[in-house]
Amino acid sequence: MMRSPWLVALLCAGASLVHPLFGQDDLMGFFDEPTGPQLVTSVFKAGRIINVQSPETSGKGEMNFIIAHRFGRISDGWYDLFGLDNAQMRMGLDYGITDQLQVGIARSGFGKTLEANAKWRFVEQQMGGGSPVSLTAYSVLMRDGLRFPVDGLERKGVHRLSFVNQVVVARKCSPDVSLALIPSLVHRNLVDRADRANDVATLGAGFRYKLNNRLSVNGEYHYLLPRPIEDDYVNSLSLGLDIETGGHVFQLHITNSRGMFERAFLSETSSSWQDGDLYFGFNINRVFQVGQRR
Amino acid sequence: MSYRAFLFFLVMGCGFGAKAQQFATRSAHIAFLSETPLEDIQAESHEASSIFDAATGQIAFQVPILSFHFPKALMEEHFNENYMESEQFPKASFRGTVSGLDTGAQGEQEVTAKGVLEMHGVALEREVKGTMTRSETGWSIVAAFSVPCTDHDIDIPKVVSENIAEIIEVTLSANLEPR
Repeated sequence: MMRSPWLVALLCAGASLVHPLFGQDDLMGFFDEPTGPQLVTSVFKAGRIINVQSPETSGKGEMNFIIAHRFGRISDGWYDLFGLDNAQMRMGLDYGITDQLQVGIARSGFGKTLEANAKWRFVEQQMGGGSPVSLTAYSVLMRDGLRFPVDGLERKGVHRLSFVNQVVVARKCSPDVSLALIPSLVHRNLVDRADRANDVATLGAGFRYKLNNRLSVNGEYHYLLPRPIEDDYVNSLSLGLDIETGGHVFQLHITNSRGMFERAFLSETSSSWQDGDLYFGFNINRVFQVGQRR
Repeated sequence: MSYRAFLFFLVMGCGFGAKAQQFATRSAHIAFLSETPLEDIQAESHEASSIFDAATGQIAFQVPILSFHFPKALMEEHFNENYMESEQFPKASFRGTVSGLDTGAQGEQEVTAKGVLEMHGVALEREVKGTMTRSETGWSIVAAFSVPCTDHDIDIPKVVSENIAEIIEVTLSANLEPR
């Protein structure tokens, strides 16, 4: 009757005495307790994998100036200096309203096209719980500005407009490998031929493989889903290299799409890799911090 | 009965006594500054953890590298991607022992913590000077030290060597409460 409380007391006192000996383990245990999911960042280097959107957006208050060129056909040979004599240019400005929401405008020489676009990463990839992928919505409005289109059709107001909506499902699988799946819907208010559909859907995939901290290999492919009427357009395939130098990201690539806005490269690519009709091109991204981040 | 109660409180007292010697926080503040004639780069984290055992003098800090925030998003990306490689080395830590502390004394005390500073996968023996002040319930700790980038294999390329200092000044402040 008297023994048991003594025994309990002894055991407890013993445990209390031993306790400080376990102090170090105790301290480290404090750090091992889970503290919630961590954001996964830098899934791709620039706002575009090559042509298509990556999940990256400009940070809050960041202005990103993108100047991009696609030269002529490499297969034109010496006469056109492998295409370098003929360049198409796109100039774009992106601005980060928040770290997840970006708006932009751009002008392409190709089709004298003006663009207004918005991009929103509405789900972030997280480690240790949370979403395994990031989801980014991209929407762009394009206005064809050609005065005398080659098809001879007169275009007024809304006839010149086209739209692309897409979702970028991206995942950084390891520090070196990032993948993206990009379904897109293209709508053209007016098409140039009766055998071309107003609406086209594509399913795209892209990747980034880091060679080191400042260099990566990128690629993207867009599969044109079956259309009610077959047109002459082909799937877009691009391969490239991202080079980062401080405030600039240089992207060099080879592609069979010459247009640098979504409607052109997703749904109106006509040169094919099999025929060797490829274009060399680059994007240069330059970032300026114009607004306050915090 | 009173005898048993006495034993009970004695035992409980021992248990609590051991526990009350530990102070901790998960919202310690760590800031750093890279100062060059061209550019000052500052970043801070409010998500550092710290624990201090007053009985043994053991102290430890840990901070997730991704919790450091910069005034420019691009700086933050470069910091994580190019310099700290935060996916490979997600945390920086200091584990050591405080000397020169009188746990019973009031007011600010100059102390030295000797231990191991680990960041970017490189662990180094360091001595860090700081002050500790007994607050009503816990301890407040302030410290400052400098970290040469090369000590921790943090590679800064020539192109940006004029924008990033070779030695980074780190300041730390934490209010630890009984755990």
